[in-house]
Amino acid sequence: MAVSKPATRGSSAQASERLLVKAAQKDPARFGELYEDNFERVYAYVARRVGSRDLAEDLTSDVFHKALAALPNFDWRGVPFSAWLLRIAANVIVDQWKRGAAREIVTDPPEMAAEANLEEIGHRARLFRLVDKLPADQQRVIRMRFAEGRRMREIATELGRTEGAVKQLQFRALETLRAQVGGRKQSSSNA
Amino acid sequence: MPNRTGFEQLDQAVQEMLARPGKKPRVDPSLTPLLRIAEDLRHLPRAGFKVRLKKEILRRSFMPSVADPNVATTTSMAIYLAFHNAAAAIDFYKRAFGAEEKMRLADAGGKIGHAEIRIAGSTIMLSDEFPNYGAISPKTLGGSPAKIHLYVPDVEAFTRRAVSAGAIVVRPIEDQFYGDRSGQVADPFGYTWIVSTRTQDMSEQEIQRRFDEMAATERKSKRANPIREGFHTVTPYIVVQDASGLIDFISQVFGAEQTFRSTGSAGGVHAEVRIGDSMLMIGGGSPELSWRGDSQPTALHIYVEDTDSTYQRALAAGGTSISPPTDQPYGGRGASVKDGFGNHWYIATAKGAHFQLEGLGTVTPYLHPLRAEPFIRFLERAFGAVELEKYASPDGVVQHAKVRLGDSALEMGEAHGPYSLMPTMFYLYVPDADATYQHALAAGATSLSAPADQPYGDRNGAVKDPFGNSWYVATHLGRPSQ
Repeated sequence: MAVSKPATRGSSAQASERLLVKAAQKDPARFGELYEDNFERVYAYVARRVGSRDLAEDLTSDVFHKALAALPNFDWRGVPFSAWLLRIAANVIVDQWKRGAAREIVTDPPEMAAEANLEEIGHRARLFRLVDKLPADQQRVIRMRFAEGRRMREIATELGRTEGAVKQLQFRALETLRAQVGGRKQSSSNA
Repeated sequence: MPNRTGFEQLDQAVQEMLARPGKKPRVDPSLTPLLRIAEDLRHLPRAGFKVRLKKEILRRSFMPSVADPNVATTTSMAIYLAFHNAAAAIDFYKRAFGAEEKMRLADAGGKIGHAEIRIAGSTIMLSDEFPNYGAISPKTLGGSPAKIHLYVPDVEAFTRRAVSAGAIVVRPIEDQFYGDRSGQVADPFGYTWIVSTRTQDMSEQEIQRRFDEMAATERKSKRANPIREGFHTVTPYIVVQDASGLIDFISQVFGAEQTFRSTGSAGGVHAEVRIGDSMLMIGGGSPELSWRGDSQPTALHIYVEDTDSTYQRALAAGGTSISPPTDQPYGGRGASVKDGFGNHWYIATAKGAHFQLEGLGTVTPYLHPLRAEPFIRFLERAFGAVELEKYASPDGVVQHAKVRLGDSALEMGEAHGPYSLMPTMFYLYVPDADATYQHALAAGATSLSAPADQPYGDRNGAVKDPFGNSWYVATHLGRPSQ
């Protein structure tokens, strides 16, 4: 099995992340920047593994609360901050599993090392960020359709447009996202 | 440009994919890359969640956590307090709260125009009273509308130190629903401090959920209040040979008001009187009755507006002095009187506009056990009492202790000198008389009567504790069947 190394990031990116971590360790109010940089990755990791949006939000919230509390103990060893967060996320999910909420967890208890998934997680995180940059009407359609799981008819009513027009917006949005997110290796993304 | 069939076909595939995750709908190969994007978007976070969580996290970052109980180390805001004696206050805060003095500007007479201290990492600015500049102390105002909240690593240790320096516990340390363990202490200068240690980090939603749950429980419990209206958890039951005489005495001296009187099952008086916000039950004989029984005199701590005039009235009404009015080392003024029926009245006026200390009723029973420790342990085990404060002299004698029982307090000082053992009778309201009766027996009490419904609307039983006190353990059931 060819385990691709996680995308190695430039040393300058690493250095600036290191500074952010140090700043947040001194002043927890600075945690916001680390949060901004990592929210999508953590959410993507968690959401993939749990059955409902509510639970995904609860557990994501847990991860960041735990990370904030444990931040003073974070020891820089050249490992990206996101890997540390994903390890917390893996533990949070395992805990949830142990608490007997197994039926709400989609996949098996995640192995502690999240490394194998880093590429897929990075891809999704990028995609989620790109949604924020879509034109407003396309963005609304994508959020309602995918994040809220609403039906076409509802979306059309709420936006005051025809279903056809909404489907067209959806199509364009997906095209834009595909063009911007870039390709990713055909990986085993099916469960 | 998407043609009509293109975006229709894609939407249909998206619909199938959303409805049945894991199943790959068949689409025109040109649409496959878009469908793959759609698949990844299934886990798109909901609008607003990222921002909401960030706000919550950042707000939390300013709050203490279990891991970091003291984060408020750098803030741009400091509270500014005025004192009737700022130098004494600084001294007190050093001893009680471990405060660190950072600066002091004082005039030749020592009057402090500005000072800064740090407590638990936060700065407090303070000065003496300067009414012309709007700096007015709680003493002048008769209290402070603001309380000061303090996060510390160990609320128990902090409070112990504060109490030993002269602070008074006005709310006992308890686990709070929002994840803090906290209590409140009053300092001798009129400020109240809420002292907390974070014991559990939880989200705002969780706190709201617990809050709602509590409100619901409260609504339920209101439907059947286990305490008779007007009463509190603890009511002392005084038994004397001349109940009418005692009621006359306390009416004259303390302005007591008789709210109920009847002849009890044993042929004696049963009376209920109100003094301030407190109730007393009084029983025993009366000149016109043939009741025979033993007196059960009681010691009571009573707050009055003016200790001196009350003391004089008590002597005029036939009381004898145990100790004349004096300023007390712990603040306020106090005197002690013995009435003609054997009861002790410890008359007190607290400092400040409120002559009564927060957390204490007008009347609080005062006991003189031979040893306080085992008695307090019994109260904890039998009735769920919470120890609030305890002062022992260097030789180990407990001079004063206070416990909370439901919404009431009991005070005690170990028997010495004129303060001899006075076994007392109590009427105790609890949510479940049968359960508490059993707890009391398990804690070492002996049964006087098993719980039974009474014609006056209470269910009660009675026990005698190992220290000679008797306890009616009662739950109010509703309207009396008259």
